[in-house]
Amino acid sequence: MTPRSPVRGAGSALVRRLTLWIRHVSIELQRHVTHGRFESAIGVTVGAVWLGITPLFLLCALVDYFDGGPDAAALLLSGAVIAFAGVVALWLSEFPSALPLKRLFAALVCGVLAALVAATAAHFLTGVAPTIDSSLAEGAATITGTNSSTVNPEQLSLGMLLFRAFGQWLASAGLIVVLVRIAPHLGVGGLDADGGVSTRSARRLAPKSGSTMVRLLLLYVSLTVVLLVAYSLAGMPFVDSVVHCLTTVSSGGFSSRSGSIGAFNSGAIEWVAIVGMLIAGTSLPLIFRAFRRGDLHRFARSVEFRTYICLVVTAVFAALAWSGNWPKADDVRETVFAVASAVSTTGFVVRDLNSISYGAEAVLLVLMVIGGMSASVAGGFTVMRLMVVSRYIGRELRRSIHPATVEKIHLGKSSIGEVALARIIGELFLSAAVILPLALVLSSDGLNFEAAFSFAISALSNVGFAFGLNGPEEHLRTLGTLGHLAAASLMLVGRISVTPLLVTLGGLGEPMQRDIRRWRLARHEKAVR
Amino acid sequence: MRVAGAGLLAAAIAMMLSAVVSVVDGGGGATGLTVSALLTGLVGLALFFGSQVSPTADSALAFASVAWSWLAVSLAGSLPFVLTGVISWGQFDNALFESISGFTCSGSTILSNFESVPQGVLFYRSLTQWLGGMGLVVLAVAVLPALGIGGLDLIASEAPGPTADRLTLRVRDTARQLWLLYGVMTGIVALVLLTIGMSIFDAVTHAFTTVSTGGFSPHAESIAYFDSFPIELVLMVGMLFSGASFSIHWHALRQGIGAYRRVSEVRWYLTLICCAFGMLVWVNLGELGWLQNLRESLFYAVSLGTSTGFGNSDFVLWMPAAHLVLLVLMLVGGMSGSTAGGMKVLRLQVVFKYAFRELMRARHPNSVIPIRLGRTTIEEQIAAKVVGFVMLYLGLIVVGGVILSGLGVDLVTAFSGSASALGNVGPALGEAGPTSNFLVFPRIGRVILMSLMAFGRLELFPAMLMLVASIRGLSQIRRRRDRAQSG
Repeated sequence: MTPRSPVRGAGSALVRRLTLWIRHVSIELQRHVTHGRFESAIGVTVGAVWLGITPLFLLCALVDYFDGGPDAAALLLSGAVIAFAGVVALWLSEFPSALPLKRLFAALVCGVLAALVAATAAHFLTGVAPTIDSSLAEGAATITGTNSSTVNPEQLSLGMLLFRAFGQWLASAGLIVVLVRIAPHLGVGGLDADGGVSTRSARRLAPKSGSTMVRLLLLYVSLTVVLLVAYSLAGMPFVDSVVHCLTTVSSGGFSSRSGSIGAFNSGAIEWVAIVGMLIAGTSLPLIFRAFRRGDLHRFARSVEFRTYICLVVTAVFAALAWSGNWPKADDVRETVFAVASAVSTTGFVVRDLNSISYGAEAVLLVLMVIGGMSASVAGGFTVMRLMVVSRYIGRELRRSIHPATVEKIHLGKSSIGEVALARIIGELFLSAAVILPLALVLSSDGLNFEAAFSFAISALSNVGFAFGLNGPEEHLRTLGTLGHLAAASLMLVGRISVTPLLVTLGGLGEPMQRDIRRWRLARHEKAVR
Repeated sequence: MRVAGAGLLAAAIAMMLSAVVSVVDGGGGATGLTVSALLTGLVGLALFFGSQVSPTADSALAFASVAWSWLAVSLAGSLPFVLTGVISWGQFDNALFESISGFTCSGSTILSNFESVPQGVLFYRSLTQWLGGMGLVVLAVAVLPALGIGGLDLIASEAPGPTADRLTLRVRDTARQLWLLYGVMTGIVALVLLTIGMSIFDAVTHAFTTVSTGGFSPHAESIAYFDSFPIELVLMVGMLFSGASFSIHWHALRQGIGAYRRVSEVRWYLTLICCAFGMLVWVNLGELGWLQNLRESLFYAVSLGTSTGFGNSDFVLWMPAAHLVLLVLMLVGGMSGSTAGGMKVLRLQVVFKYAFRELMRARHPNSVIPIRLGRTTIEEQIAAKVVGFVMLYLGLIVVGGVILSGLGVDLVTAFSGSASALGNVGPALGEAGPTSNFLVFPRIGRVILMSLMAFGRLELFPAMLMLVASIRGLSQIRRRRDRAQSG
């Protein structure tokens, strides 16, 4: 008899294993469907996100249908699929009685990924983005509030235009929920309960985090309405006002015009956008407190707000001083606009950024990295963390002379715990570790050095515009598949922080880590014997 | 004052030697070099014999003395450039730039027409880097670790070498041992270069700037002038040696080659250079021929990975992704305890492990995870120093880059110039590449770059504290005078 070839043997073993695994999974699934649900926070989160996002699909499909646009059917179909998937996920899973921290991280990341899947599906099925990778990049830009796109907004249907704007707005609303309900438990980048400063002000708003969340969401909605009225009064058409109020207050930056806010060519509209962007970069709890009792001195008393405004003023002066010409009124307005857009990580533009000086480019790049205040909807490293880091450097400098000194770092009247400090610094280094390889991918996929680096920073801070190419928003269009994936990753990392992503990825590799540990132990025992 | 005096005397000797080279060559410049030597020597003698070391010197004063001495030597070191007429008096700042670039072992230059520069001045230029390296090797291995600057006390954790426990007692013995090693290595590199076909002048000057990881070359094209792979190979070995810790070399001499294997920083250092080489080869694939790609990528991975800055081609013409790899190399630099600049591999290790620990802590908030280097556990306070240093380092690059951009330099040149100056590398990206010079920066921009070079060489903290200690010293003098008047 001819012996069986080893390759064939291995192949059939693989098929046998696969069959066993499928049978095992189907039995488990059957058991859960008939006897009970999975205890899964991930399932509940994903289901809730998908189900929660469905009304947006329906609304945009309706608007598009009445407007006579081409995307109504596709939006309805994608909405139906997403809703069905959400219902199934919720039906199959229930919230676990105990939720370990690593599961909470995983739930957060999966929730964001679920939103990404929904936004990608909408872009792909409507044909707005022709390929999966560009749809993914568009979806990532929508859910992370980044003004980076491969499409011309003037060619979009009304339904898709609203979907993208509402997507950015809802994503920022979701961020507020995360900030109040989840971030204090995760303690990412200093947002922890013991010594973290970012959520401290938010936690003191109300005795229950639920009521805090409602108050902040109400403030968010009110600000949106105020901006809608302001844009309309400034002379913006109604549909444009709706789109821009949604993307200004959420620091998203998507526009209905290819020239962004600059397309309206109106000083009044630009000033409204400037104020809106600066508000988007301000801490929401601070605004709430200041306006609840009419105590505007709260702004002056907040050390973070003072620094935020100082940064804006200094940047405006530096950019104007380095422009080389005596500034006119229009120049001042445009510079303030660019600075507000960068620091609030909104990403609106009013003029071609190639015409600004190198100094102004550098200033805008630094502002993008810093971003807005903590507990705001803006991206970036945040002003609070910058202040903590600069105080940390000062302390280490003093410790060089007096090594025995014990010194706590203070922000205003509150001191920062060492654990929160370590988390802030850890987050900074991890972000740097992420940005370098992804910038390498961007530069190997068609961007020049300046464009790759500035776009990597811009995407990580969820801004959108960058330098080094013919236009400020050309970068995503210039990139290929690999570049789109890198850009989408940067946007996601920027929005949900690098720690949750890496912790979740680490969780995926946990069984393998356990196996490696066992193998090492076995090897060690063998060596001892 | 005494330390500054000693430094000035050493600089005077260097000028005298260069004057001798000038006389032998007959290309001029001997008078200018001799006058500079006399002036510098006189001031040095006055300072050396007119002052004494304070027995109660604290760390802040020690920082200040190191920083001021470096500045005094750099200032005196600019004299030969103006007195020989290579740079006019009206451009004294350019002479100071060249001198600071020499004594800080940076290798950035403002000279463009090398053919018109006398051989004596070119020799002196290389000698400034060698002298800078000589001071640095003691500073990096003995003085700064003893003062615990930026966590450099970690050097002793894996390879307890010739670090000085007390500055006044052991530093002299330590310096002698290190200088012997440094001198012998310079001799070996010069001899090998001579044997494979370099002229004696080129061999000696290149040996000076290789062992000090300075990167000055008497030719405008740098190493590309020779177009010889054997020469590049010898220089690469020399650069790799000098970019590694002298403390570990000292150990290896006594305990054998195994000493290198035991130190985790050596593994990281070599891995980093190998990875950079691999990435450069991958990025340049299709752009350059196979052999040319391998040769140029390897040379630049070593040259920038050790912060030397020699060039064998124009990397500005490479793909943008390659520039990113080179920028990372510029940022990291060589090993601690070496003559190389940059942030140092040791600090990269600590920062990497610090970030990884925070990641682990996010997953397991109650865990206690120590930071380890090899088998050594690092104290929290030292890790904090390292982290503080790295953040200050990156912050200074950003500040420097923003100011340079404000002065009208494009973003790539400005930020890479800032990183290159602070890391004491030499060439930058953009318009300040290896075949260009630093005249592309405006005059004030070069002053900023000079400050960054000095800050980088003095490991930031001493330079920062120099100002603090000086202000404190002035207030002490004022208080004493007030007391004397009231008494």
